[in-house]
Amino acid sequence: MTAAAMTERPAYSPPQQYRLTFVGELRSEWTKLWSLRSTWIVLLCAVVFSGGLGALISANVPDEAAVGGADMALGYAMAGVSLSSVFVAVLGILSITGEYTTGSIRSTLSAAPKRLGMLWSKALVFGAVVAVLFTVMVFATFFMSQALLSGTEIGDVSLGDEGVLRAMFGYVAMIVYLALLAIAIGAILRNSAGSIGFYVGVIMILPQLATLLPWEWVSDAVPYAPGNVPNTIALVDTSGSTLTLGESWLWMGIWLVVAYGLAAVLLKRRDV
Amino acid sequence: MIEIEHLTKRYGKKTAVDDLTFAVKPGVVTGFLGPNGAGKSTTMRAIVGLDAPTAGLARVNGKHYSEFRSPLTEVGALLEAKSVHAGRSAYKHLLALARTHGIPTRRVHEVIDLVGLHEVAGKRVGGFSLGMGQRLGIAVALLGDPAVLILDEPVNGLDPDGVKWIRLLLKGLAAEGRTVFLSSHLMSELAQTAEHLIVIGQGRLLADTTVDDFVSGNGKSRVRVVSPDAARLAEHLAGPGITIASPERGVLDVSGTEAAVVGQTAAAHGLVLHELRTDRGSLEDAFMQLTADAVEYRQTTEGVK
Ligand SMILES: Nc1ncnc2c1ncn2[C@@H]1O[C@H](COP(=O)(O)OP(=O)(O)OP(=O)(O)O)[C@@H](O)[C@H]1O
Ligand SMILES: [Mg+2]
Repeated sequence: MTAAAMTERPAYSPPQQYRLTFVGELRSEWTKLWSLRSTWIVLLCAVVFSGGLGALISANVPDEAAVGGADMALGYAMAGVSLSSVFVAVLGILSITGEYTTGSIRSTLSAAPKRLGMLWSKALVFGAVVAVLFTVMVFATFFMSQALLSGTEIGDVSLGDEGVLRAMFGYVAMIVYLALLAIAIGAILRNSAGSIGFYVGVIMILPQLATLLPWEWVSDAVPYAPGNVPNTIALVDTSGSTLTLGESWLWMGIWLVVAYGLAAVLLKRRDV
Repeated sequence: MIEIEHLTKRYGKKTAVDDLTFAVKPGVVTGFLGPNGAGKSTTMRAIVGLDAPTAGLARVNGKHYSEFRSPLTEVGALLEAKSVHAGRSAYKHLLALARTHGIPTRRVHEVIDLVGLHEVAGKRVGGFSLGMGQRLGIAVALLGDPAVLILDEPVNGLDPDGVKWIRLLLKGLAAEGRTVFLSSHLMSELAQTAEHLIVIGQGRLLADTTVDDFVSGNGKSRVRVVSPDAARLAEHLAGPGITIASPERGVLDVSGTEAAVVGQTAAAHGLVLHELRTDRGSLEDAFMQLTADAVEYRQTTEGVK
């Protein structure tokens, strides 16, 4: 082929109307989330578990244990909700480690080569889905539990009572926080089993085990562990907790900034 | 236009790409050839920004890939390794990618039809055959109707029909003025598709040439003669610069001359010929000769019976 023949060919110009946008990335993550069967299965488990366990426990509280304040009532009602955070965390982890284990991350990051948009949009979309779902679950479980406890001392908690509504949204915020933390862990470790192991071991179990250790500084540090900092916001009466409400929010923010800062730096620097 | 300038990529101590410099021009299909482990896939991943170069750079139309405002319309890539979530359907995979750029669902259906995945678009990719997965990868590459196509072993797993189809498709895309860059280890495959060739071995550039030049420069030709008078013919043909081999009784492989000369010699001496043809030197041979020193994973046939 001669040089002349080559220059004769018209230059191709690709379609001009398409742009990579953050809104586009959000829509893409939304599509990806709901196009996997595992999303539906795990979220269904979370719903059944939160509602079922809340109902089961509330229906079986012996009369002598149905005493105390609104925190006791919420504690019985939300037992399932709290444990459901594991489902949500696992799903959050899989939403990102699944991309690495299957290789779809290469497609994702070829379409969005600046990379960080992928992380933010994944976190935003999943966080929003969890927030909506658990707002519904927390309220549904609350009313169901109150109906089952009616007639007992803790069966007449009202949403209007001081701190109750705030504590209920506190439960929602706690679950969203744990879900976001899980996504960051997945982004850092990139491996499903490793990330789930880390979440269960370090976020859930370690702070519990640490209280058994003899050293005082450990028990001083335990309330500040990433898995413990949201505890205060889910309480109606916060006077007994180490962290105040404000500190609780602050520490949740600190841990998210640390986790996402690390995830973002690694995402930018590592090869895919 | 793809420009690779002094690209070096090391994984730990292993140098996958070593100071590689070349350019891929629009308008023609350019083949990227090299034995296993030569660094083809690594170079291609560097172009789309998935692997960061240790040194040097890879640019597309003057820009680093991540600088594009619409990467999918600039470059379409089919990478070697699987790049799809096994639990997602082909349609949803394409849709999710299209959404990032605001590409309409109409275009998603278009590329699905184009690669012939219409029937299975709603099925989970995990159950796809190698060829179907490859077709999906090609659909992804074409999604943004891009100016540059980078395809890592696109014919891998395709049936003969599919191979023919993609050959025509790529030539057509190049004829529209796009840049088409595809890798292969099969010289014969590339010779039918590509006009230009980049050959690498152990991460280093071995050749940057047109296919025609490569073939005439490296492919030796020989004349095969089948004749009941082979022995006598051989005597008459013998001369300086001519080598004659007889792989079997009545058959001669003559190199250093042309079929016309062999025919004339036979006629002049009244010798009967049953067959007379020119064998162009095998491209694979030429390729293997060029990369002989750069083959990384050499197999042995000892112990295989
Ligand atoms: N992520 C990685 N980590 C470590 N080594 C790697 C990595 N990717 C590639 N390599 C090494 O770099 C070299 C080049 O690999 P590459 O996949 O680019 O070769 P290739 O030309 O595509 O080979 P093939 O024809 O087999 O596909 C190989 O020796 C390979 O082992
Ligand atoms: Mg390869």
